[in-house]
Amino acid sequence: MKKILIVLFSILWTVDLSAQTENLDFMHSTGKIYVVIAVLVAIFLGIIGFLVYLERKLTKLESLIED
Amino acid sequence: MEKKLWWKLLCVPILIYVIVVGLSTPLSPGITSMSQYTAVTGQTFTARVTTYNTFHTKAKEVKARLRKDTSLTIAAQNVKVLDDNNIEVTFSIPAFMPSSKEQERFSLDVDNDFDGYGTLPGKFIIKQNNIDSLKGAQVWQNTNFGDLSERGTNFPFRGLLFETIRNTFFHVPLWFGMLFLFIGATWNSFMYLRTQDQDRDRRAEVMTMVGLVFGLLGIVTGMIWAKSTWGTYWTWNEIKLNMTAIALLIYFAYFVLRNAFDDLEKRARIAAVYNMFAFVAALILINVIPRMTDSLHPGSGGNPAFGSEDMDNTLRMVFYPAIIGWTLLGFWIATIYYRTLNIEEKYLEQE
Repeated sequence: MKKILIVLFSILWTVDLSAQTENLDFMHSTGKIYVVIAVLVAIFLGIIGFLVYLERKLTKLESLIED
Repeated sequence: MEKKLWWKLLCVPILIYVIVVGLSTPLSPGITSMSQYTAVTGQTFTARVTTYNTFHTKAKEVKARLRKDTSLTIAAQNVKVLDDNNIEVTFSIPAFMPSSKEQERFSLDVDNDFDGYGTLPGKFIIKQNNIDSLKGAQVWQNTNFGDLSERGTNFPFRGLLFETIRNTFFHVPLWFGMLFLFIGATWNSFMYLRTQDQDRDRRAEVMTMVGLVFGLLGIVTGMIWAKSTWGTYWTWNEIKLNMTAIALLIYFAYFVLRNAFDDLEKRARIAAVYNMFAFVAALILINVIPRMTDSLHPGSGGNPAFGSEDMDNTLRMVFYPAIIGWTLLGFWIATIYYRTLNIEEKYLEQE
């Protein structure tokens, strides 16, 4: 879980960094449509993150039942 | 209900509709900037106007006018098309205005038969040095602009927002989904206190959990949106943002509280009471307090964010399905979590 979170945040962080330095205009180009894309990606990642949490819970349960 | 598939699959076409139509419907044409925003009475000037989402070269005729509400209008003498998104407009302002104020604010309309019309509301100022409203009434003749061209089914263009108005279908429905999940959780907490049935406690827990995930996603998407519109991810001056953060922290504490008890019955009882408290607190924090002061965030200062300023009928045609779609998805995820907890419970009982 921790590893996944670290990877997730580092991805978000790099996106953020690139947005701050050279590509500030990228997020504002084409009528800011990339802001909408970023929002969709964030929701997708969030839901996937919760699925991973469920997945791990089920894995734990499976190994409990098998023992 | 939690094993039925039809209502879970229902969210799939709805969300596909929301994403496809929400992303592909074009914006209305809009005006992003003018090369000058002031003029004096009696002046003839030519200004460059930059528009968004327009195809002036494909239009037969491009018209422009300045207007104050509907009482004062003046059409451009000449409109020169530079390219699809740039035109030059020439206005000749009469020497007097039928107004006794030093200056009046005007909106600029640009209309062409190919795209429809766009408006830059209230940004252009006409000053008058010699105020004589009687003379103005004689000199100023409102020019008849004719009917504005049809726009077709487009989302409204709002300055600053541009295409991010589409976030209305993603950021806002997450909060509605959260609200419905919290309502379900609170109902089950209430039922737990009446029946002492552990099953009710599990239902309350999963709905609160998914509701909290939706709330966090609402905050993250809101921050991304705020960065592009307000220029900052978070501002502590915004009451709506702060109150929402507090409300989510209260719900975080719900899970901390649960983990503090080993005795199942005690845990369920205290969690149920706390959950009902949290719901009332969240309702007040998110939906009542921010309405009482002004704020950048829509839905503050008395306006419920559903007024004509923020919403229009084309947005609603996607917005309402979006609420249903995201909410159904939330409950779907909650049922999967619920069934996982059920299996765990059954296994622990057998031990």
